[in-house]
Amino acid sequence: MTTFIFLGDMFVMAFMAGIAAWILYPGNSKTLDEVARIPLEDEEDHG
Amino acid sequence: MEAVSNKVYHDTVVIRLIQFSVIWALLAMLGGVWLAAELIWPGLDFGQYWLSFGRLRPLHTNGVIFGFGVSALMATAFYSVQRTSHVPLFLPRLAWFCCYAWQLVVLLGGLSLLAGYNTSKEYAELEWPFDIAIAIVWVCFGVVFFGTIAMRRIRPIYISNWFYGALIIVIAMLHIVNSLALPVGLIQSYSLFAGAQDAMVQWWYGHNAVGFLLTGGFLGMLYYFLPKHAGRPIWSYRLSVLAFWAFVYSYIWAGPHHLHYNSVPEWVQSLGMVMSVVLLAPSWATMVNGIMTVSTAWEKLRTDPALKFIVLSLAFYGLATFEGPMMSIRSVNVVSHFTDWTIGHVHSGALGWNAMITYGTFYFMAPRLVGRELYSSRLANLHFWLALAGTMLYIVAMWAAGVSQGLLWLSVDDIGELSFDFKDIMASMVPYYILRLVAGLIFLAGTFLMAYNLYMTVRGRPALRAVPPAVAPAFGVSR
Repeated sequence: MTTFIFLGDMFVMAFMAGIAAWILYPGNSKTLDEVARIPLEDEEDHG
Repeated sequence: MEAVSNKVYHDTVVIRLIQFSVIWALLAMLGGVWLAAELIWPGLDFGQYWLSFGRLRPLHTNGVIFGFGVSALMATAFYSVQRTSHVPLFLPRLAWFCCYAWQLVVLLGGLSLLAGYNTSKEYAELEWPFDIAIAIVWVCFGVVFFGTIAMRRIRPIYISNWFYGALIIVIAMLHIVNSLALPVGLIQSYSLFAGAQDAMVQWWYGHNAVGFLLTGGFLGMLYYFLPKHAGRPIWSYRLSVLAFWAFVYSYIWAGPHHLHYNSVPEWVQSLGMVMSVVLLAPSWATMVNGIMTVSTAWEKLRTDPALKFIVLSLAFYGLATFEGPMMSIRSVNVVSHFTDWTIGHVHSGALGWNAMITYGTFYFMAPRLVGRELYSSRLANLHFWLALAGTMLYIVAMWAAGVSQGLLWLSVDDIGELSFDFKDIMASMVPYYILRLVAGLIFLAGTFLMAYNLYMTVRGRPALRAVPPAVAPAFGVSR
């Protein structure tokens, strides 16, 4: 059980590291800035 | 019921869910005030079983969480998912089914609690027929939500939808597993789990119901309505994505901190404690992100009651998510557990975070849904101060009561015997309980003001026919 939990934990940690690397990759800056604006431009007249 | 259209956002169902949510808030909070009074004057049950504390208390919690909270989450999820996907709701008639079926489940389930049918699992008290009905409505909720996302006209899935999605998926998983039971009658059953396993499954459910419903779902609300209302994008979208995954990863482990000094393995207790402390990071990441988002829009706080509620809810979110990890540390928990400190902690989250962000969101949505100004900003401002005063008085009273109880219960004399009688300790709590009752009345009065204000705002007005904008090229998806 301990090994199972440890391996699972390491898998999740690797996933988290991947997320962090992707999110901090400078090439994604423009896209993320545009995504952040989605709520501000979501209705035709009064969005 | 509005005509099904391929272009117009389906907002009438959102208005109806807001109305149900407000009705449940009034009823369930009235129940809470009555319970607070019963703790001072036990005779208020008038010898009636259905008015006893044991039956009214689950009615209060179920009414607030599932009636008020889930109706608000459905309303805001339906409102925001269409807008962030640039398409109307998928299967709008199914959304109407979710709306009415959910109210029926909460109503009949509440009546069953008053009649004494109770599984004895906290926040999962309803018996098996209601559990099945909840699962069906919840799956329908998921079909409408994820169907809308699948039909979206812009490629990215905005962060609020990730939180709402986690709410739907994880609550379905928790509810179904924790409710597994052997029926032995029309409204009676026995859990499939027994002993320590039952306790561990129950608090895996119980803590994550708090985590993914009362935290994750409401964070979805925050990430959509805060930038929307402040008129600025979220301060760091990167931080919001990191906070989401860290939140999902760490919360699911934290349940065993409810079972400290119990008959579950010590390593399980330690794991729950450590992951609870780790949770501080994603929680405060969101709080900082929210505060920084409004940091360039402080001037709006002077005049806008809706934004005041949302920003104040962030402060209470930060407070509650600091206090929770501290209380999960075993050496603190030995004082806090089974005392009113826990009640104060729960209400700093429930009143300060959940209710306040919901109130702010309702004040924001209602005028926009019907294309009319809020009926009275003065009443909304008065509501804000009543809500703040009620919440502060409540949690300070319960902190004082809880810390006193914990320390007095642990006091021993020179030969190791308890210094104080349990009955005497509880009798000395009455002044704090009176303060709590006053706090509850103040908070409830504010909620009545909001109900009147929102009623006057939407009275006699149909939902505005809001439509998606032209798709921005950067996000366009060819369909």
